[in-house]
Amino acid sequence: MREDVKGWLGGERNFRLASAVTVLAVLAGFTIQYALGGEGLPMLFWPLNALFILVLAALLFLLGTAFRQNAFVSWLGGIPLGLSLIFALVFLSLIGGFVQQGVASGDAVLDRLGMNRIFSGWPFLFVVLLFLCNLGLSVVWKTIPFRISNLQFMLFHGGFWIALACGLAGASDLQRLIIPVYEGRASSQGFIPQENRMVQLPFSVYLDDFSIEEYTPRIVLYDPENDRVLTGKAEGTAEVGKGFRSEWPGFSVTVLDYLPNALPGPDGTPRQADEKHGIPYARVRIAAGEIHSDHWLNTGSPSIKPGVVQIERYFLVMFPGTPRVFRSGVVLKGSGGSSTAAELEVNKPVSFEGWKLYQMGYDEKAGRWSELSLIEAVRDPWLPVVYFGFFMIMAGNALFFWKGMKQGEIL
Amino acid sequence: MMPVEFSVIAMSVMAAWALGSLLGIPAKRYAVLRFPAYGIMIAGTLLLGWFIAAYWIALERPPLRTLGETRLWYAALIPVVGFLVEYRWKIAWLKYYCMALASFFLAINLAHPEVFDKALMPALQSVWFIPHVVVYLVGYVLLAASSAAAWHNIISGFRSRPELIGYSISHYLALLGFVLLTFGLVFGALWAKEAWGHYWTWDPKETWAFISWMAYLGYMHLSAIRTEKNRLQWYLAVSFLVLLVCWFGVNYLPSAQNSVHSYQSG
Repeated sequence: MREDVKGWLGGERNFRLASAVTVLAVLAGFTIQYALGGEGLPMLFWPLNALFILVLAALLFLLGTAFRQNAFVSWLGGIPLGLSLIFALVFLSLIGGFVQQGVASGDAVLDRLGMNRIFSGWPFLFVVLLFLCNLGLSVVWKTIPFRISNLQFMLFHGGFWIALACGLAGASDLQRLIIPVYEGRASSQGFIPQENRMVQLPFSVYLDDFSIEEYTPRIVLYDPENDRVLTGKAEGTAEVGKGFRSEWPGFSVTVLDYLPNALPGPDGTPRQADEKHGIPYARVRIAAGEIHSDHWLNTGSPSIKPGVVQIERYFLVMFPGTPRVFRSGVVLKGSGGSSTAAELEVNKPVSFEGWKLYQMGYDEKAGRWSELSLIEAVRDPWLPVVYFGFFMIMAGNALFFWKGMKQGEIL
Repeated sequence: MMPVEFSVIAMSVMAAWALGSLLGIPAKRYAVLRFPAYGIMIAGTLLLGWFIAAYWIALERPPLRTLGETRLWYAALIPVVGFLVEYRWKIAWLKYYCMALASFFLAINLAHPEVFDKALMPALQSVWFIPHVVVYLVGYVLLAASSAAAWHNIISGFRSRPELIGYSISHYLALLGFVLLTFGLVFGALWAKEAWGHYWTWDPKETWAFISWMAYLGYMHLSAIRTEKNRLQWYLAVSFLVLLVCWFGVNYLPSAQNSVHSYQSG
């Protein structure tokens, strides 16, 4: 269905109607949002949301097949409306991209219009619903009658429809809980931050061990008066270790010896220790012209005072490195009595009885000495359907790339 | 340890591009100058490529984490698009726009030298890191080149009728860029599920990625209904600005205060 259009909106009734309807949908959404006092959307839970999607899909199928020649239906599934809705989605997303979401802005009118939660508001709902109708009809038309040449269109548009519809309708069934758990203890309580309440989980998490590995520490000059950190001029990316040298105006610091894991011996000199208890120590030479002196620096721990050197009104200190890995060794116990040992790390979630468990955080003030681990538990029954949509989009995309390249030959 | 100072490299690269471009003017007349002109320009890009490789080795991780690092890749790759387009379709002008854009990004890096930091935070340690960032990077490069072509078409449209092939260049670059943008977006969603527990949370960076994707989706449809070519050039030229916000601007927006995508050090 290709029509020659002069300009974006000019001289084409379809476009005028499409943009008018889209603008009306957005305005109506904001009006309802405001009238309801900023109330969010009523959520449909399982199985109502699934039913809703099935009915919508069936309706679109019926409209697309039985009423294909109808002027209204062909407008509803046409590119002019699709384009208007794309721009409306861009407009609403721009609001979401500029206004901080999820927090009260302090402006009563803006909050009542739902500007700070635009993606769960009425205007977004109306635009998405129209968009799903538009997209859905176009998929029906390209699918029936089936032609292999339309495969790319079906996969891309159909996948987008499935991912969008199921992702949004299934959002109500998504559960995300935070489980705080201390070393040597078990927890079966999850915290829902949005609702500020604890809920009982169908399983329990026992934290056997929480550990953090750190990157190498940094040697910097601390200015306590201005609470400032002065980084010396070191050569490139060279990290702290034997031979590391850094310069500040007037003096230089050279590392004579470096022990990544050490503890003070009986006479106070640091000795090699195990990874779990030891802390980084560095023997440094501070030199200003001909004068020099040697000192031990360390990063400190709850039981060891950080080793620093005072230089006039500054302190030469060794800061612990940023975390490289943090992991929780846990034992998961299910409702049926099943028990599994697992290691949780960032980017390495573990699946357990329909839930996915993530290493989320820890007590950042305590750093590597934290005994608290924050574990996130997520249950998303709609995930497989949404992923199916994603993979359809990617397959369509790959075909598009291939076809696009081939068409490129006409140049 | 850095083999050479970045500023020396950046200056040399920009000088090579400038010199090569200047030599390109007399090279139109004197064919003997063509080889040195191209040689110098390509040497500039090769030098930057070598620097990225050395930097990668020194950091012991791919230099793709901070915005400054992605700008390095951008500066190296976008002239490559210009050269390839010239090689394939015999269009010479695109490379100059590309080198100008690349120099602009090198200049930003010169003005804001970053502390070299090897640390790669746990959230970024994933098999998705390289595909997600590389696909986006190449996508941005192509769309930047597309917008450069669009600007060229607009400017030459003021003076005379632009060549039809100019429209094709901006169109096909946008098309390719959109394909990569789509892959980047979906890869990002799949990674987010592994790292943060959900594939889509309307984090500011995600929102802006969605806006840019929709903007180019809009282009695909405007082009499908044969919108007038000159308007499409304006559309492409402006769409890239949205992409720039997504790439560099998001971190400065008030909406991004709690963004999970802020990886800037210090």
